[in-house]
Amino acid sequence: MSAPTEAHTLPNGMLVLTREVHSAPVATSWIWYRVGSRNEPSGQTGISHWVEHMLFKGTPSIPKGDFDRLIARNGGTFNGFTWVDYTAYYETLPADRIELGLKIEADRMINTIFEPAEVDSERTVIISELDGYANYPETWLDEAVKASAFTAHPYHHPVIGYKSDLLAMTRDELYAYYQTFYMPNNAVLVLVGDFRTDALLKQVEALFAELPRGPALPQLRAVEPEPQGERRVTIRRPGPAEYLQIAYLAPDCRSPDFAPMAVLDAVLSGAKALSFMGGGTQTNRSARIYKALVESELAASAWSSFTPSRDPFLLELSATVREDKAAAVVEAALIGEITRIQQDGVDAHELAKVLKQVRAQVAYSGESVTNQAMQLGMWEVLDSYRRVDTLLDELSAVSAEDVRRVAQQYLTERRRVVGHFIPTGEEGEL
Amino acid sequence: MSNQQSGIAGATRHVLPNGMVALIQRNPSTPTVSVRGELRVGAVGEPTEQSGLAVFTGAALIRGAGERSFQMIVEETEERGCSVSAGGGLHSSGFGGKALVEDLPLVLEILADMLIRPTFPAQEVERLRGQFLMGLRESEQETGTQASRAARALLYPPEHPYSRISSGTLATVQAITREDLARFHARYHPAGGAVAIVGDVEPAAVIAELEARLGSWAPAATPPDSTPPAAPPALEGISRKDIPMPGKVQSDVIWAVHGLRRADPDYYPVMLANMVLGQLGMGGRLGENVRERQGMAYYCYSGLEADIGAGPWSAVAGVSPENVERAIAAILHEVERFVADGPTEQELADARAFLTGSLVLGLETNDGIAGTLLGIERHGLGLDYIDRYPTIINAVSHAQIVAAARRYLSTERYVLAVAGPTAT
Repeated sequence: MSAPTEAHTLPNGMLVLTREVHSAPVATSWIWYRVGSRNEPSGQTGISHWVEHMLFKGTPSIPKGDFDRLIARNGGTFNGFTWVDYTAYYETLPADRIELGLKIEADRMINTIFEPAEVDSERTVIISELDGYANYPETWLDEAVKASAFTAHPYHHPVIGYKSDLLAMTRDELYAYYQTFYMPNNAVLVLVGDFRTDALLKQVEALFAELPRGPALPQLRAVEPEPQGERRVTIRRPGPAEYLQIAYLAPDCRSPDFAPMAVLDAVLSGAKALSFMGGGTQTNRSARIYKALVESELAASAWSSFTPSRDPFLLELSATVREDKAAAVVEAALIGEITRIQQDGVDAHELAKVLKQVRAQVAYSGESVTNQAMQLGMWEVLDSYRRVDTLLDELSAVSAEDVRRVAQQYLTERRRVVGHFIPTGEEGEL
Repeated sequence: MSNQQSGIAGATRHVLPNGMVALIQRNPSTPTVSVRGELRVGAVGEPTEQSGLAVFTGAALIRGAGERSFQMIVEETEERGCSVSAGGGLHSSGFGGKALVEDLPLVLEILADMLIRPTFPAQEVERLRGQFLMGLRESEQETGTQASRAARALLYPPEHPYSRISSGTLATVQAITREDLARFHARYHPAGGAVAIVGDVEPAAVIAELEARLGSWAPAATPPDSTPPAAPPALEGISRKDIPMPGKVQSDVIWAVHGLRRADPDYYPVMLANMVLGQLGMGGRLGENVRERQGMAYYCYSGLEADIGAGPWSAVAGVSPENVERAIAAILHEVERFVADGPTEQELADARAFLTGSLVLGLETNDGIAGTLLGIERHGLGLDYIDRYPTIINAVSHAQIVAAARRYLSTERYVLAVAGPTAT
């Protein structure tokens, strides 16, 4: 059902992906930059995310405040987000207004002002965002687990950055970072929706082809060394419950072991929806972790997660410990599910179920042009947009033995971090 | 190019013999189908001491229905990548499902069992209770939930259903019995309820399927009473509650007044006023002031709960404890300014353009179309509503917005709730 995707490269190196979808009079424009928190040096954590915020603060031709009004006036929605491997922006609009998205992105790729007063105002907005996350105990645990899992690789630090870095960041550092990474040869434009490709490409060329290509980009060299033993981290803060988060260093999305790991994750807690914007179905309650942890009343909730990444990232297991249960028992039950797969493998029925779930999630996600473009862009910055179309075949080719092998190879005690959140009493250690 | 707007107007509306309304729209562009429905029984009908009963009952339907156990239901649906769900709300109990189109019969079969023949197995009820209690313990420690609870308690007298959060409290959820769930379920009734089904389906075939699955459902209970809750006594002066929360880093501030019913003639002027005050772009004027100009918050916006009854009209902001008073002053300043002058010409034009222009975005997916159909039915708007909508919105005048804003917004009579660390 998915229409073919066409790839076009402009002379300045910018890749443009287009896919016509005529089921609703809607179109979406996404721009992806190959920059995220993995590119940040120590002392400048959070700079990618801050630059993303500044792209909403105005250019000479679209001043601050005009940008969101302009999109609203045209019946559109927009957002931007930053992750470890990428930064992306989108506008979804009635199809006949899609050129507005192109104009905005072409303009702010090069002309964003970084007004010093706006930089200072945004500093406190971002610190407020960080403080809002810090109200949740899970945030503290997650940060500690990631920091323990990565010693040499910048996946070590949170995407939003450390508060000390946010307090110290200068306008010139932000601007230099923007000028380094925001350029056509480091960008992917993804257009999906109810348009005619030929006509739209002419608009793309008119707006983007003259933007100057930048110098070669700095490449990240850091490689996380093979862990030499289990690491354990405990966080004690006020909170409502004990939480567990167990992370194993896992293969990146270009590894031949990516597909078996993705199947393994789905066997543990279902094939996840293909968008963080909703639209999929829940698939975890008949899977292994829910049965072993939640049905058994050890945990109020429990799940696994595994996302495609540029460099080796994590397969994680998480649980909220029930009030009357011991965290050690919950930890043993979570790890027990890994051991069970290492020893006995998975069965054919589970593999078939995972494939059907992925097929269904692909179909649900395909209802929205915004979600389709998100998948194409994400895969292109991680590897290649073609993975969107080959993923089902990759997963179909995974055997039960592959799943068992990757469980044995990657999910070992020495490659794992065990994080434990223990709530403190009313004294409130701050 | 397709035209989804006329699609809504062309949906099939069919009333089952028991009074439930079926709304079917064919969307041939996807291999998927969405089901969304609701019955007119909700938390407004539960006694104060059983707060959380409607939510608990709704969530328990999937825990055993007809001949199937919970594990059978999730196994059968998840292995096909489809889902069924149900949940209690304030004025309704909702249900729904999502499937590849060939699995629609299974989804409808299980949903009918959940609505008509839930079994509430004792062990499943206890499992669910454990999960609910944990969820409540977690939300009790969220600044947003604490501020919201406090604001509702200040806006409405204790006997009013809007004074509570429909998920209940640790004490009430602990006390609800399996028999309470069964008794609350006995009040479920198809009359006044509706189900919307959207996807690559033949309307006649789906209606026949619904007739077979739900058409003969004729519970003994009297049809639900859809009288809106009584209007609360008008606010007098300013009331404020501060909730200190150890271990928190940031405070949630809620400013609120009484809003209005969806059926109120002031609804469209007030909805446009809310859009300009705290929605449009990045949080309207509130976002512009508190986030963009003063750099105080990551989020600041307003919200209007206009449903069967008059819910709150509120503004919220997440700020550091030392900025709480500044944020409140900024919210009051924007309310005062709006009440005095209303929207600018440009703001009103932008709000109209957004509301009418973005209609097509909401009608892109099966879920979006089904949700729209259900809302149209809930409020009796008629299937031509989407076609009429631009005319309705464009007819709202500046004077109507100012007059309506003055009836509801006030800088002298309002409530404030602040939850977070104590100011340093």
